[in-house]
Amino acid sequence: MNRIRNILFGFLIGLSLLGCGEKSKQDDEQLKSATWQEIEKKSEGKTVNFMMWQGSTAINDYINNYVVPTVKEKYDIDLQISGGQGPEIVQLVMGEKQADIDEGQVDMVWINGETFFQLRKVDGLWGSFVEKLPNSKFIDFDNPFINTDFQQPVNGMEAPWSINQFAIVYDSQKTSSPPKSIPEFEIFIKENPGTFTISNDFTGMTFLKSLMAEIGGSPNALDGNFDENKYQELSAKLWAFINESKQYFWKEGSTFPKEQSKMNQLFANGELLLTYGFREGSIEDKVLSGFYPKSTKGYAWENGTIRNTNYLGILHNAPQKAATMQVINFLLSPEAQLKKSDVDGMNSNTVLDMSELPPDWSMKFLDAKKREFGPSIRELELNAITEPAPEYMIRLYEDFRKHVIEN
Amino acid sequence: MSLRIKKANIGVLFFILIGIVPFAAAFIYALLYSFGVTGVANDGFTLKFWETVIASGSFFKSLGFSVLIALVAVVISVGGALWITLKFKEQLESRFFSFIIYLPLAIPGIVTGFFTFQLFSKGGFLARISHKLGFITEASQFPDLVNDGLAFGIILSFIALIMPFFILLFLNVYKNERVEELSILAQSLGASANQIAKKIFLPILIKKTWVLIVLYFIFLLGAYEVPLILGQESPQMLSVLIIQEIKQYDLDKISEGYVVAVLYTIIVSVTAIALFLPKRKTAYAN
Repeated sequence: MNRIRNILFGFLIGLSLLGCGEKSKQDDEQLKSATWQEIEKKSEGKTVNFMMWQGSTAINDYINNYVVPTVKEKYDIDLQISGGQGPEIVQLVMGEKQADIDEGQVDMVWINGETFFQLRKVDGLWGSFVEKLPNSKFIDFDNPFINTDFQQPVNGMEAPWSINQFAIVYDSQKTSSPPKSIPEFEIFIKENPGTFTISNDFTGMTFLKSLMAEIGGSPNALDGNFDENKYQELSAKLWAFINESKQYFWKEGSTFPKEQSKMNQLFANGELLLTYGFREGSIEDKVLSGFYPKSTKGYAWENGTIRNTNYLGILHNAPQKAATMQVINFLLSPEAQLKKSDVDGMNSNTVLDMSELPPDWSMKFLDAKKREFGPSIRELELNAITEPAPEYMIRLYEDFRKHVIEN
Repeated sequence: MSLRIKKANIGVLFFILIGIVPFAAAFIYALLYSFGVTGVANDGFTLKFWETVIASGSFFKSLGFSVLIALVAVVISVGGALWITLKFKEQLESRFFSFIIYLPLAIPGIVTGFFTFQLFSKGGFLARISHKLGFITEASQFPDLVNDGLAFGIILSFIALIMPFFILLFLNVYKNERVEELSILAQSLGASANQIAKKIFLPILIKKTWVLIVLYFIFLLGAYEVPLILGQESPQMLSVLIIQEIKQYDLDKISEGYVVAVLYTIIVSVTAIALFLPKRKTAYAN
């Protein structure tokens, strides 16, 4: 008798949970047509879980000591941070989808194009929501670097947060004229064997894209949809070039660092003469903290390096979508963006359009302290190229392993 | 039904619930994933992931590489531990030395990995000392001891991790099995030191501990953090390869990671079962 009662009880709980799931889905649809006041009202006193890459002390400092207390004070929202980037986010979404979880662990994620592509593939993002945010009026959605992510239209499924460009980093005391093109690069590695490598990760693949665009003959060589024939032709030349050159790489090209952060260490201790990275090479904070020498400089490849935006997204099963929109809207406010671009702090470029801002705010941005060591995003503007379609990245990962690492 | 049988049953039930069910469930999930049956990005049963993995050969390369590394590390650790036990058993009784041996047992693999990296990398502690002493003039002249083709760093970390354990194990077996008394007896019957080592010391110690030695070999085969920090990109040790395949950018190929995981699980399980199945004892057999 007891057993029957237990089974019934469990069944009822299951039913009520299912009911909750259905209800939350309807609420989400209503949110898309709700006014901002309604959204604000819904977001008070809620907890938002934000999954983000926590690999930089400057970024963590900005989030934990500025964003978290401010959203608590302004909107009574508890912002909880958990660590995780691209693959972890995708794993989480896929796992929760598999288990049919309607109310996930995470509301908000910090992503870039590759994760955007993956999440769109598994319908992991909720949207479109960006045009609902009052602060989106300060963003220029006609800018191709903002409205398109890896050649995919963003369509309001993710909100731009920062914009940055890939830069090559060198120590001007050791290297007077670093290479800016493939012919110069060939001479450079022969003169300085063992001082260059390609990390087997997102950043290294981004460098390969720059090389491939140059082999293709122009900054726009990889624009547009993925083109199999173009890829075959250009990548064959790329692998041939790398395999010829890799004897002059770090460890004679017998192995490659797993992550770009390792390249930064090798650069700092003098094993490498060149490193590279997004956030304009993220030189400023590394020099200020003493990790890099003060003579460190950054530049863009002549044919161009990739400029891209990183974004904030809301997961399809975020329990607190209204409160998440409130947090994202705050992160896009002139106040939060100005604080984020502080060269002594997170030092990341704003996505706001100066011509759209109220004059007092745009003056504040213009008067802000400038970088002392790293290049400004302005300086690299002439050599900016857009991210190619995500399929190029997929194939480069695979083929770099197949044709270079395992060769 | 007597109470005793019930108690035994509860024990078995708990073992099945806690030890076997979750493992079996995870294995079945991985198996289904590898055939494309489950997985958000998959669209139904297919053999293509298995074909790709088997055709690419990277799994077998990685397996061979892992077996070799684990084998070298276990052989050196066990050999070293036996030699140390035989030579220094009296000194090891002292407080100070036993503390020194216990200490590494408290250090996790990831710390050992980092420590090895800090010591042996081209920009590490030893390289800096060599530079100060004028042995080398540039970081690149220091020999390749981490992320290297011979897996020197990985093997060294493994030895640092498991050799102390084997020393303690052998010391205990030495005491419990009264090897000391047996040696004295053999000596009084005219055996040489060499004979004692070969006929008494080694056989007893190895026979009593071979199960643990094999288990440690399997444990090293699946090690993750140390090869992740100290390994190279190709070939990789198995766990590193599996995680890399499961976390890859192309969601359509995540199943390949599960294929590798399933293959690895099958190989290890079959090996373990073959080794640990109670041998059928034939009475009075030689």
